[in-house]
Amino acid sequence: MNNINKIYRTDLVETHALSEFNLNVKEGEFVSVTGPSGSGKTTFLNLAGLLEPTSTGTYELDGINVVGLNDRQLSKIRNEKIGFIFQGFNLIPDLNLFENVDVPLRYRGFNSKERKERIENALEQVGLAARMKHLPSQLSGGQQQRVAIARALAGTPRFLLADEPTGNLDSLMARQVMELLENINKSGTTIVMVTHDPELARRAERNIQIVDGQVCDFTLYQNNKVEAKQAVSA
Amino acid sequence: MFFYYLKLAKKSLLKTPITTALMVLAIALGIGVSMNALTLNHVRSVNPMPEKGKQLFALQLQTMNKIGTRHTYDDMPMQVTYQDAINIQRMTPSIRQISSVKTGFAIQTQDPDFAPILQSARATQSDFFEMFNIEFLYGGSWGKEIDHSPDNQVVIAEELNERLFGGGDNLGKNIYLNQNSYRIVGISKSWNPKPKFYDLNNGQFQRSEQVYIPFSLLPVHEYPSWGNNNGWGPEKIDTYQDKLNSEIMWIQYWVELENNDKKSDFLNFLAGYVEQQKKLGRFERDDARGTLRNVEEWLEYNEVVGNDSNILVGISFMFLAVCLINTVGLLLAKFLKRAPEIGVRRALGANQAQVFLQHLVEVGVLGFLGGVLGLVIANIGLFILRNQYDGFDVLATMDMSMFIAAPLIAISATVLSGLYPAWRVCTTLPSIHLKTQ
Repeated sequence: MNNINKIYRTDLVETHALSEFNLNVKEGEFVSVTGPSGSGKTTFLNLAGLLEPTSTGTYELDGINVVGLNDRQLSKIRNEKIGFIFQGFNLIPDLNLFENVDVPLRYRGFNSKERKERIENALEQVGLAARMKHLPSQLSGGQQQRVAIARALAGTPRFLLADEPTGNLDSLMARQVMELLENINKSGTTIVMVTHDPELARRAERNIQIVDGQVCDFTLYQNNKVEAKQAVSA
Repeated sequence: MFFYYLKLAKKSLLKTPITTALMVLAIALGIGVSMNALTLNHVRSVNPMPEKGKQLFALQLQTMNKIGTRHTYDDMPMQVTYQDAINIQRMTPSIRQISSVKTGFAIQTQDPDFAPILQSARATQSDFFEMFNIEFLYGGSWGKEIDHSPDNQVVIAEELNERLFGGGDNLGKNIYLNQNSYRIVGISKSWNPKPKFYDLNNGQFQRSEQVYIPFSLLPVHEYPSWGNNNGWGPEKIDTYQDKLNSEIMWIQYWVELENNDKKSDFLNFLAGYVEQQKKLGRFERDDARGTLRNVEEWLEYNEVVGNDSNILVGISFMFLAVCLINTVGLLLAKFLKRAPEIGVRRALGANQAQVFLQHLVEVGVLGFLGGVLGLVIANIGLFILRNQYDGFDVLATMDMSMFIAAPLIAISATVLSGLYPAWRVCTTLPSIHLKTQ
């Protein structure tokens, strides 16, 4: 992301949610994003996930300049390259686990055999293959988040965006989910995770902090030890 | 994806059964009422003889003097006199044409236990059946010679054959019409053109007659007309023969002409006939003339589809619109309530068109259900009409095209009304939907 600005306008107010925002995430990285409430973390996540357009600036995702693409192209990129994990899980309550994981695969256009294989593998990966006919309401919070992770993984995305993935979970569940994310990252998937929890943020390879819509500094971690801290001028 | 959307629609509709039931009921009421009006209008406006509609012509003659008036827009009588019917037929023997009039009898069989039944009948000529494409189960029409040499022969329709004999081939058997014995020469298949174009007097949608006798028998047995007898001036009529010689107009007259040249020739002949009759002291008006109207023109001339019928259709469709506006409100509320799910779907890769289609399919399913229930409501309405009012038994009946049209109208109208809610949902940014979590 280079010189990204995001401005929300109403009749009376103009809010600069992100200003001259610059960030480069390498393939295979695990980046945590922290910052106080209202700093622009969610806006960053929405822009990174192509859920809303930037006001100005350039954004290149996996070699594609995504600024100015139409809805169909953006949706295709979201579907094929990005996986989402939300704080509130965002499973569709009327669909069972199998059908929930099936959602992105339907839009991908896979045939039923391939979809079935991918769904079973993804649910297997998060340890819920035996409960695929259950509804989300029949699962615990941690299990629901694992289903959401399975849904994000089923399409084998290059890039995983996680918005407070452990925010609604107790510490045990949170640890399990975090371990799952770390394993996914080890298999080569790039992860950007927004979190309030400094402990979790430290488990990432790199932490960036957003304040007032700008990246104010970042920290590199290796084996949970601080190796470098560098101020970044926004 | 269509079947996936259908599956999602089923889940969504079952999730909110009361809202779904309200929407289906609103659509069904609108469709039921409009289909009722449309059916009545459709039956009125359909051409009952599409295959020969442009070859069959109702004949009209302006035979009245300056005092006489009729209620048609051009003041032309809709029937002809007996003498004109006989004259024209004699003068143009090579042209297929028929005179006919409605009459009626008390009918008995040779079975002494059979109670007599009163039945309307049609006195006509042998070509009537072929002109109007009436098919036969057994036998056929009486021979052409009977049109000139009267004989007690009769054609009965299959419904009456069923009633009199329990069906089957009963050619050669005798029945009694007003105690005169008639030999059955033909049993025709059921024939009920809607409207009853060949005789629009006394009920444009009444059932066709079940008994046909030779027109040539009228002067023999002096059968009365059960239809209209339109006179226009004082005449002394003491006997049946007086009526035959009078200016009373009571005969329906149809001519079959294959092409425009023949029609033109026949109109020329009519002009000559009018001039001839003027010389004989009849046809006093300056605008005395003969006209020919094909089936469609004849129905329009007789205002079979009146303005009131069209207005009724308009009002019923406005009612449908009101029902659909209510449905739009409910749909909008339902769809917007589902915003978080839409946000998730959009985030996971659904594009606007896919979300739009998903919702339109759901709306289409609603429309289909509303259409089916609307058909039931419409048929209940038509059933009540048929049982409450005379002459509605043919008119208030849905044909196949209406059965197909009802769900199609319901689906199209509902999909149309669902366009805005679906558009609202699909054009909102996914991040906005996700914020509503």
